[in-house]
Amino acid sequence: MATPRNAGGGRDVRRWLNALAARERRFSSLAVVAGVIVTLATLGQLGLLARVISQLLVEQATPASQLPALTAMVGLLLVRAMALYWQERLGQLASLNIRSRVRGELLDHLARLGPGWLTGRHSGALASQLVEQVEALDGYFARYRPQLALCVLSPLLVLGVALWLDWLAALFLVLAAPLIPLFMALVGMGAERLNREQFEAVARLSGHFIDRVRAITTLQLFGRSQGAIAEVHAAADDYRRRSMRTLRIAFLSSAVLEFFASVAIAVVAIYVGFGLLGYITYGPSPDLTLFSGLLVLLLAPEFFQPLRTLAQHYHDRAAALGAADGLLAILEADPDPVRGADAPPTQAPDALLELQGACVTQPGRGRTLGPLDLCLMPGEVVALTGSSGSGKSTLLQLLAGFVGPGRGERRLADGTFFAWMDQRPLLIRGSLADNLRLAAPEASDHAMREALGKAGLGERVEGLPEGLETFIGERGVGLSGGQAQRLALARVFLSRAPLVLLDEPTASLDAETEALVIVALRALMEEGRTLVIATHHPALIAMASRRLVIEAGTVTEVVHG
Amino acid sequence: MADHRSDATLLAALRPWLSLLALRRGRLAIGAALLALTLASAIGLLALSGWFITATGLTGLLLAAGVAANLEVYVPGGGIRFFAVSRTVSRYLERLYNHDTVLRLLADLRARLFGVLTRLDSQALSRRRASDWLNRLTADIDTLDSLYLRLLAPAGVALLAILGLSAFLALFAPRVALGSGALLLIGWLWLTLGQARLGLAASRRQVNELEALRGRLVEKLQGMAELEAYGSMARRRRELAAIEERLYRGQRRLGACVALGNALANLLVGLAMLLALWLATQAWAAGQLSGPLMVMMALAMLAMSEALAALPAAFTWLGATWGAAERLNELEARAETPALPVSAGLEGPELPAGPLSAELERVTLRYPGALAPALDDVSLRLAPGERLALCGASGAGKTSVGDLLLRQLIPSSGTLRLGRVALAAWPEAALRQRVAALTQRIDLLDDSLAANLRLAAPEAEEEELWGALAWVGLDGWAEGLPEGLVTRVGEGGQRLSGGQARRLALARLYLRDPGLVILDEPFAGLDADTAMALASRLDAWLAGRSVLYLVHQLQGGPFRPPGIDRALTLVEGRLVSS
Repeated sequence: MATPRNAGGGRDVRRWLNALAARERRFSSLAVVAGVIVTLATLGQLGLLARVISQLLVEQATPASQLPALTAMVGLLLVRAMALYWQERLGQLASLNIRSRVRGELLDHLARLGPGWLTGRHSGALASQLVEQVEALDGYFARYRPQLALCVLSPLLVLGVALWLDWLAALFLVLAAPLIPLFMALVGMGAERLNREQFEAVARLSGHFIDRVRAITTLQLFGRSQGAIAEVHAAADDYRRRSMRTLRIAFLSSAVLEFFASVAIAVVAIYVGFGLLGYITYGPSPDLTLFSGLLVLLLAPEFFQPLRTLAQHYHDRAAALGAADGLLAILEADPDPVRGADAPPTQAPDALLELQGACVTQPGRGRTLGPLDLCLMPGEVVALTGSSGSGKSTLLQLLAGFVGPGRGERRLADGTFFAWMDQRPLLIRGSLADNLRLAAPEASDHAMREALGKAGLGERVEGLPEGLETFIGERGVGLSGGQAQRLALARVFLSRAPLVLLDEPTASLDAETEALVIVALRALMEEGRTLVIATHHPALIAMASRRLVIEAGTVTEVVHG
Repeated sequence: MADHRSDATLLAALRPWLSLLALRRGRLAIGAALLALTLASAIGLLALSGWFITATGLTGLLLAAGVAANLEVYVPGGGIRFFAVSRTVSRYLERLYNHDTVLRLLADLRARLFGVLTRLDSQALSRRRASDWLNRLTADIDTLDSLYLRLLAPAGVALLAILGLSAFLALFAPRVALGSGALLLIGWLWLTLGQARLGLAASRRQVNELEALRGRLVEKLQGMAELEAYGSMARRRRELAAIEERLYRGQRRLGACVALGNALANLLVGLAMLLALWLATQAWAAGQLSGPLMVMMALAMLAMSEALAALPAAFTWLGATWGAAERLNELEARAETPALPVSAGLEGPELPAGPLSAELERVTLRYPGALAPALDDVSLRLAPGERLALCGASGAGKTSVGDLLLRQLIPSSGTLRLGRVALAAWPEAALRQRVAALTQRIDLLDDSLAANLRLAAPEAEEEELWGALAWVGLDGWAEGLPEGLVTRVGEGGQRLSGGQARRLALARLYLRDPGLVILDEPFAGLDADTAMALASRLDAWLAGRSVLYLVHQLQGGPFRPPGIDRALTLVEGRLVSS
């Protein structure tokens, strides 16, 4: 994963897609086999159709004598329907397995990259990638790839039969055959261009719409709602006019394909007709019979059908290429090599955590912290201060192991685990109890109430009709910022972690909540826990037994006066 | 508030959108006619070719047997060439025309829904500003946009083709027409209604399952630090896997339904062909039908596959369209509930000129689902020309007070008055004219500086715009821009710094002449020098107007808004004097 895949500019998106497909080769090959069976059944069925007609009209057979052939045709129809069903199902299964695996790999990789990598990235956008971009691979694996193989195989089979029937008629198809790659390129170019331009235009238009919706309050406040509605309509209409210009050209490519398919039928029909009348005496024409003539006619549309189907699925390919580009960008991010490795035990007796000569380097930014020596003893309260961007959060992440020391060492006393709290506490959709149990899955109701009490939320929760089972909506709907912060604190109490890392726990809180949080933190300190707090708050700094000042990645300890 | 319509039928959910489509019924009819023409050409091409080959074959045999026979070849030959060309041309025109229609419908839909959104209150809007909600909205609009081209037109044209073909065949052999037509009709019913029924529930759930997955993923990614610290990653991953499994189960089911429908469509066309052949054979044997016509009937049935191919996938996923329609209907219903009473245009009480007083009397505001009211029995009065600072932490309720006065929210109980007139009685246009606000969130359009300023004053001359920029001290910066006033500010104003965006929003206020000004953190994101320079100019402009400042806390120095007469503090929705 660490080797750069983007050597030479663009990422090798196609290679990645091929590699994904290779792992599900079994299903996709079976899908192609089913597709070939469909073609064979079609050939058999059309052959029987031509034969039945020929028997009736030329050989003057009675309708009843054709019943076995008709029965066989029903049988072939059933085979074809079943093969069609499985062709589609197998493609879907391949796609489903691939998507599920890609999503799993992305999640694993994100877990390896860790919270350090995630800071500063938009989690909503990432989540959308994991949902939509992975789903966008569907059509490509389910339909496009099997059809690509069938696009070569099926016409060959059809051509073989046509050749056996009448080589001149087959020649019309053969003449079209070298054109097929040309068609594909043509269709491809058209579709590619169409897709690219449409994608961009659609994105721009959606962007415009979303932009106006975001600003809707302001538009309301300035009394401009009506004008904005007209503008939204005008923008969409303008987009229509511009995109119709592109579409006029883009649709031509598929029209060409359609034209050749139609003309092939027409040419074969007229050639066969005139041949049967005896107007053509060249080559195999005099040997044409109603049977061979009809069958050749019926084969002509089948010859072009796979290509037409492929053209319909072409946008799946474009969508997959676009999505793969975004997904590879995540998979190519290199995880911190030190992350996940077990930290060696501390050397000083009683020490909880030690840093020795530890540095943090970040890609593109160089060294952002250190070198730094630090020894945390049980029960200590350490305040980290310094202007924003100086490296306080990085130091906390280093202590937590979210980022590894690029150089130097982080040592951890055996069995030390930690609790974490930052300005944006995690709130999951579920009950208050669900949110608390994140920290301690087995916690009893009593323990949870106690923890809420210590965090200053006890009364509020007791007053709720559903108590601990009160449901919190998505993204903490129903909780104020201060309440969310105290809920996260309750989790810290519940976790019993000896080491507690806090990133600006009182930022953006009102004075009253702030006071409650400080009381709670004091209670944590009195429980004998080790606290490391990145903060500007004078009360918290005063509470600390040690104070580290960080400026531009350099740490100096200030001795309390 | 969002009324539950789970028992509403599919048709009821789609009705508003069908009537929107009906506004363009002329275009829809022409588009469908082009589709039908394409299909007729395809059927005609294969059927006539079959007839022609059989006729020539039989004539050839007669000729070979020495019988004098004659076949007129030029009309059928010309017919075949005509169908070959008309199929191509009508297909091309059909695609072009129908895409044009779809894009027109998109414009209609967007404008209509935007209109709906402008009628929502700020609480409903704040939730709907999140990017995932917006993405879903645009996706829902797109889903409904394809209602015509994906569902209505193919189903209608297929039905038309079945009836038309049957009628045509009935001219020669009514029994053939009746038999195969009936079979195709039954098949059509299955491929549309039957498939829809099969996939309805699952396809309707798909969006929700994708949303659930997205929601969980956001939680997991945002809270990864805590999850990793508490060692809960594996547990959360298992929960995620369960959601994923639900999603995949639905997809497997839908995939199986679509595959079944496609296979059945194929089988149906084959069987219809065989039935037509068999019945035509009987007619031929009875001497009622010529050989070439018999062949033509079978081949015409084969060509029907083109009419039915698109139906199974589209109708299996009908539930997705239903879901989209329901969500949008819910939004419309929400906008139509009298959350924001809009008084009739010009009629209304006499409205005071000059500085406006503002009054909250025992106002309580409760958001649905919140643990505690956002405002709890708040009463306050702002005298004309007074400057009141309302302090409090985020979430204390000061923004809610602003939204109430701006009529972006209505209180759960209590009364609001503006200039001694009940706020609810103010005509919309007058309210917007007389009350101006600098909101906490600065909304800038992804448009030019000028366009953003002209939001406040559409008729403003360029000089006035420059004047407003000078007032906030942005004139020097704007003059330095190569494109000046037509410089685009980027999405959400991202090409500007936070301070510049705030000053631009202030410049917008300057272009108006309000009697009440609500300023939410006017100096947030500004440096001390700028704040200081701006404070004196703001002070002058605010003279003769009533002002409500909403601030986190009152600090001294440059960040203190100018000329505060009185300050009140809100704590968790309650007023405490200070």
